[in-house]
Formats: sequence, C-alpha cells, structure tokens
Amino acid sequence: MSEAAEHHGRRAGAGRAAKRASRMAAVVSTVPFITRKIPIYEVLNEEGLSLIEHNADTVLEEVGIDFKGDAEALAIWRDAGADVREERVHMPRGLCRQIIQERAPRSYTQHARNPARSVVMGGPHTVFAPAYGPPFVHDLDRGRRYGTIEDFQNFVKLAYMSPWLHHSGGTVCEPVDLPVNKRHFDMIYAHMRYSDKPFMGSVTAPERAADSVEMARLLFGDAWIDPASGKPRTAITSLINANSPLTWDATMLGALKVYARANQANLLTPFILGGAMAPVTVAGSCTVTLAEALAGIAFVQLVAPGAPVILGSFASSMSMKSGAPTFGTPEPAHVLYAMAALARRLGVPFRSGGALCAAKVPDAQAAYESAMTMLPACLAGTNFILHTAGWLEGGLAMGYEKFVMDADQAGMLQTMLNGVDLSENGQAMDAIREVGPGKHFLGCAHTQANFESAFHTSSLADNNSYEQWDAEGRLDMSQRANAQWKRMLNEYEAPPIDPGTDEALRDYMTRRKGAFADSNV
Amino acid sequence: MSDDLDLNSLSDEDLVAQMHDDLYDGLKEEIEAAVHVLLGRKWTPYDILTQALVEGMRIVGVDFRDGILFVPEVLLSANAMKAGMAILRPLLAETGAPKVGKMIIGTVKGDIHDIGKNLVCMMMEGAGFEVINLGINNPVENFLKAIEEHQPDIIGMSALLTTTMPYMKVVIDTLKEKGIRNDYVVLVGGAPLNEAFANAIGADAYCRDAAVAVETAKALLARRQGSVQQRATA
Ligand code: B12
Repeated sequence: MSEAAEHHGRRAGAGRAAKRASRMAAVVSTVPFITRKIPIYEVLNEEGLSLIEHNADTVLEEVGIDFKGDAEALAIWRDAGADVREERVHMPRGLCRQIIQERAPRSYTQHARNPARSVVMGGPHTVFAPAYGPPFVHDLDRGRRYGTIEDFQNFVKLAYMSPWLHHSGGTVCEPVDLPVNKRHFDMIYAHMRYSDKPFMGSVTAPERAADSVEMARLLFGDAWIDPASGKPRTAITSLINANSPLTWDATMLGALKVYARANQANLLTPFILGGAMAPVTVAGSCTVTLAEALAGIAFVQLVAPGAPVILGSFASSMSMKSGAPTFGTPEPAHVLYAMAALARRLGVPFRSGGALCAAKVPDAQAAYESAMTMLPACLAGTNFILHTAGWLEGGLAMGYEKFVMDADQAGMLQTMLNGVDLSENGQAMDAIREVGPGKHFLGCAHTQANFESAFHTSSLADNNSYEQWDAEGRLDMSQRANAQWKRMLNEYEAPPIDPGTDEALRDYMTRRKGAFADSNV
Repeated sequence: MSDDLDLNSLSDEDLVAQMHDDLYDGLKEEIEAAVHVLLGRKWTPYDILTQALVEGMRIVGVDFRDGILFVPEVLLSANAMKAGMAILRPLLAETGAPKVGKMIIGTVKGDIHDIGKNLVCMMMEGAGFEVINLGINNPVENFLKAIEEHQPDIIGMSALLTTTMPYMKVVIDTLKEKGIRNDYVVLVGGAPLNEAFANAIGADAYCRDAAVAVETAKALLARRQGSVQQRATA
C-alpha cells in the first residue's frame, strides 16, 4: 500500500482531518433519479397481456364504471361517446386506450424548486418516495402515537437528507394536531420549506388541491410558466385513488380536475385489497385495476388533453380469515409485474410497490415483507415507487427506524438498477494483468482507484466480528437505526429559500387560514 | 349434507345439533326449514333463537376467532342466521320476548371505506342483531333519520381517515343536543381510532374488530334491561 501512496504524492488539503471530514459527511450526493440499466422482468407473455387488455375493455363496455356525484364528469363522458346510464359510464371497446394514446405524455418532468432535483417520471427512470398517509407514527423510544406536524416536518427533513429518496412524498404522516380543514397548508409548506425535492399535493377536497397549486405557483415565481408551452410547469404529482371496485368518487374527481387543468400530474391508483375490492385471482385483480385506470386516465385526458398522468397499481392480498390487508405476499407481486407491463404497452408512466408490510415494529417481518415488494417493484421497471420508506402496519404507522432502514435498502436497489459497468475500468483487465496468479488485489492501482465506490455499503448493517458487536452494546438493526435518525435530525440544515418567496408563502397561508374558521369536519 | 335428511325424523336434540352444523356450513334454506319444523313442534320463538341460532353462531364465532373459519364462510353462516331471524323476528315481537337488539351502522361523512364496517354488519347479524346498514359517506342527518325510523338500540359509526374521525363527535354532540344521547349505545370503529379517541368524543366503546364489536354490543346491552344476549350469555 505504501507503493500506492507514493504514486499520489503529498497534496494540499489531504491528511487525516480532511479524510475524516469527507468520509463522515452525512449527505452523499447522488443522482436526482434512477436510470435503469438492467432488463425488465415480466411474468406474462403477449398472449397473457392482451387477454387482460381484452377483459378490461369488456368490463368497461359491459359492466361500466361509476363516476359518483359529479354531473360534469358524466357530461364529459357523454360528449366523448360513452354510453352513460345514470352515474354508470360504459365505454365502447378501445375508446379509453385511444384517448390516452393520442393525448397522454409517455413521460414528464416533475420540477423541484431546486432544478438539480427535478425528476423524470416514465421511461427507463425510477423515483423513490417516502410512505404516504399514516395516521400514527412509531419510534423505539416513544412507541406508537398519533402523528403531529412536528413528526411531519421530521420525515420531510429525513427524506431531504437521504441520498436515496428522490422525492419528498405527500402525507408523510397525518398531522392530527392541526384542524382538518387547514392542515394541508402546513403540510405543503413543510415540503416547500424543509426540502427542495419534488412533492405531492392535497387531494381531500378540490379547494385544498387549489391551495396546493397556488402555493406551488408562489414557490416557483417567475419559473412557474414554461415559456415553451405557455402552460404551468408540472410541480406537483398527486395521489388520486379509485374507490374500487369500478368507482371514481366526487372527492377524488374534484381534486383531479383542479390538478389536470393546472397541468399538474395525477397519479391514478386503483387500490385493490384482493378478495374485497377485486376477485381473489391475479388476472382478475389486473383486469379490475386496468379497467379503473383506463377510465381514470382517459378522464384526465378529456378534462385537460396532455396533462401528465401516472398509472398506479396498489394491490394487496387479504387475510381471508379476518379481512386484514396482508403484504409481501407473492400474488400481489405478480399483479405488480403484470400491471407494469400493461402500463408500458399503454404508454404511460407506472407507479407501484413500496416497502410494504403489516408489521407493527421494525422487525424481521417488516424487513422480509418490505423486501418482497421493493424487489419486484424495481425489477418490474416501476417509474414511481411511493411508500419506499417508513411504512408499518399496513400504512397505519410511519416508523422512524423503519424509515432509515428502508432508505438504506433503497440505496442498495439503486445500485442494483444501475446495472453492470462494462467500461474499460469496469472490465478491470489492467488489475488482472497487474496482480496475476497467487497474489491479492487490495493494493493494485485499479483497486486503489475504485475501492471507495466499488461496493454499496449499508449505513446500518453490522458486519463486524461477534466480539466487536458485543463490545459496542449488542445493538440490533432497529437500535442502530434509532441512533441514525436522531443524528440526522441533529445535523439537519434547511435548504436555502429566497426570503421573499418564503414570505409570500407565509402570507398566503395566513390570509387563507384567516378566511374561514377552523373545523375538524 | 342435509339434502337427503328428513328434518322431521330427528329428535329435538338432534335437530338442534343439526342446525348448529347447518349454520356452521352456511346453509340458509336448511336453517329456514328447521326453524319451521321447531315452530311446528310448538317451540317458542325465543327458545329457537337462543338454543338453536344464537348458540350455533356462538360456535361459528369461536372458530372464526381461532382462525379455523374464513371470512367468506362466516358470511354464509351470517346469511343463514339472518334468514332464520327473519322468520322469528315478527313472532318474537308478538310474544313480547326479550329483544336481541337492533343496530344502525354507517361510515361517516367524507369517508367511503366500508370493508371493515361490512364485516361488522356480518358478525352482528350473525349474532342475531338486526342491522340497518346506512352505507358510506353519512352526514348526521342520515343517522338522525335512521334513529327515528328504526328505533335502534345501538348506533355504530365507522371512519378510516383522520380527517373524518372527528365527524363522529359531530354526530354524538348532535345526539346530546337533542337530549337523546343516553338512549343509545354508541360504538365506534376503524383502524386509525383508539380507545382514548373513543373516550374523548364520548362514545360508549371502541371496538378493534368485528368479533369485539359483537362481544361489546352484547355486554353493553346486557347492562340494559330485557336483552336476549343477557340471558343467553348469563
Ligand atoms: C382498503 C383501503 C382503501 C380503499 C377503501 C375501499 C373500501 N370500499 O372500503 C380505497 C382505495 C377506496 C381507499 C381510499 C382512500 N384511502 Co384508504 N385505506 C385502505 C386500507 C389499506 C385498508 C382498510 C380496510 O379495509 N381494512 C380492512 C378492514 C377489515 O379493517 P378495518 O376497516 O380497520 O375494520 C375493522 C375494525 O377497524 C373494526 N371496525 C371498523 N369499522 C367499525 C365500526 C364499528 C361501529 C365497530 C364497532 C367496529 C369497526 O372492525 C372491522 C372488522 O374487523 C387502509 C390502511 C389500513 N391498513 O387500515 C387505508 C387508509 C385508511 N386509507 C387512507 C387514505 C389516505 C385514503 C385516501 C385519502 C387515499 C387517496 N389519496 O385517495 C382515500 C380516501 C377515500 C375516502 N374519501 O374515504 C389512509 C388514512 C390515513 C389518514 N391519513 O387518515 C390509510 C390508513 C392508508 C394510508 N397510509 O394511506 N382506501
């Protein structure tokens, strides 16, 4: 090794202090999103996929989809040539696919306030985002409790600091301490202020969606309108769930229309608890999912041609002995693979997956189940992987330890998706020639040049000897994760924001919050 | 199965045992037939209810809790029970027998989650309760209307969203304003709730699942006068 040191010579700014600083720095800078370089894994062939497409069209034509409580939606469908009977819309075979293929973008850029962190949704790209929606939070010290705005801000900060999460997510936990009709302001502001990654907007009422858009407009200022298209840039992607089976309801349709008309992205997700909201089989779940998604996405394109969309699929199995959702099971993984392929054939970006589990604490169940969904999601070529970090208890709790454990795994998966380096350096012929038979590679020039980034290293796994582990307090993974998230929050520094912009956002919130009374209903 | 079985040829004891099996297997028509046979033998509606139906469903409940029976099976059992109850209910009323209990249940305004609520309906019907299912997205007016129309013993509310949970309090407060809160047992449920929340809004109980809902409903009604459950479980 002294050999190698001689090669480098003595440089300014080197030595122990500099190396310690660079090696211990918490934030590793990385790419804003993943560009996959490994093949996609598929479970169905052409015949299987077209069978499901055919069946989904049969469902749309014969059974129909309910568009509930939204007269405008029914009129739009009637004009588009669908057969509308009361609230049930029957779409002629092929109509939805045709509308989507003529109008929907195959991929889109979701802009972040820091342009270096904008993400591309679609194509060979994958974006990891934190878990969405949990009313409870969990950590080793305090156990399970309702989430607060402080927890919400903490998870935004952790996602901002994680090099492996590309997106700030949406409802990272529910801030139950704030009034229901105003909490969206503080949630959106937290994403804008404590992170500079892209985020998701409010969907629980059309006026809350409108507030989300307005705040994004203030955040982007002059950059809001894209001069090339004359339309607003897409700065928000929002989660619009179907009320499966075969129903889109007024709340979701209201938010959807607000976002579509402002050129913001709608992520339309049929959320299937197999057995309750779709048949118990993989093919049946795929058929229901595809039919609902086709109807939802085509509707977006009728409302606002060209508005960005993602086809989502969230499939979970169900305990037929209690009705509880179950995760990490093989059948939903098959749904995921099939739906990813169907979205590609349709020509729209695809969302699924996540570190899903039913475990209450970050234990072995949590890890196994999460891995059993994250791996298929990555192999399937999923473009947007919501719920990548933090998910516990079927989405009822956001776990601090689980969050950093999942984020650590996301780093592994990112490296896996980066594929195999076949460059000259990757081939490493010079190393093989240099070392030859019977020696080792640790000191050769090639290793010296590559060792730091050669293997993805977990920030949480313990690979030390038994004795060292014993001496360091016999900590398990979740205990090490506990120390890690606390350290991260301690070291957190907010990304800079233009004071004028910040003030405009705060003004807007104060004004809007003052315009109507607090309410929890 | 009981297809080739002549129910009339069975002794009372064997017939009741057969009904327990038929409830277990979710055989609706067989249960209806057996109820008619027992009525023909001059059993009181009340004895048929408690000894044949409620006891049969108690066994189903135990095996559901222990993970032996699956949800779709219990659904069939509950339907069979419901069919038997439909025959007995008017007769029970005529004879002035103690009431089993009636429940109205709905998902509150703004919320469309109903899988769990529907499981609760199933288990309550399985236990012999008359259940009026108000469906999803119910404003307080729907609850008030149903209370007036059906005169229930129990009001059940379900919510799965933290944004809709507070609406349960709106319903309870309205009942208080009208001075009728204490006329009813109020049960609440849904995964994001907990006991502290139920206490805070003034509900009688939070039930973590459908089986607990049945037990709690029975226990709370038993504290009141004249319920079948009180005698059946005494
Ligand atoms: C399935 C599901 C859906 C389905 C619902 C379909 C349907 N027909 O019900 C769909 C996809 C439509 C849906 C939509 C949404 N959902 Co949802 N959903 C779920 C999920 C995964 C499971 C719920 C379920 O059915 N569980 C199975 C049943 C058997 O259990 P249960 O409901 O808890 O019921 C049992 C007990 O609680 C009890 N019980 C229930 N009710 C009652 C009533 C009484 C009187 C009693 C005594 C007992 C009782 O007994 C039941 C049987 O044992 C939960 C997460 C979870 N793990 O709970 C999220 C969840 C509840 N949803 C959530 C969200 C955010 C939404 C959406 C807003 C998402 C969106 N952006 O579109 C929309 C809202 C729609 C609306 N307006 O209500 C969040 C809510 C958290 C929060 N922040 O408040 C959760 C926690 C998931 C998450 N992390 O995002 N959802």
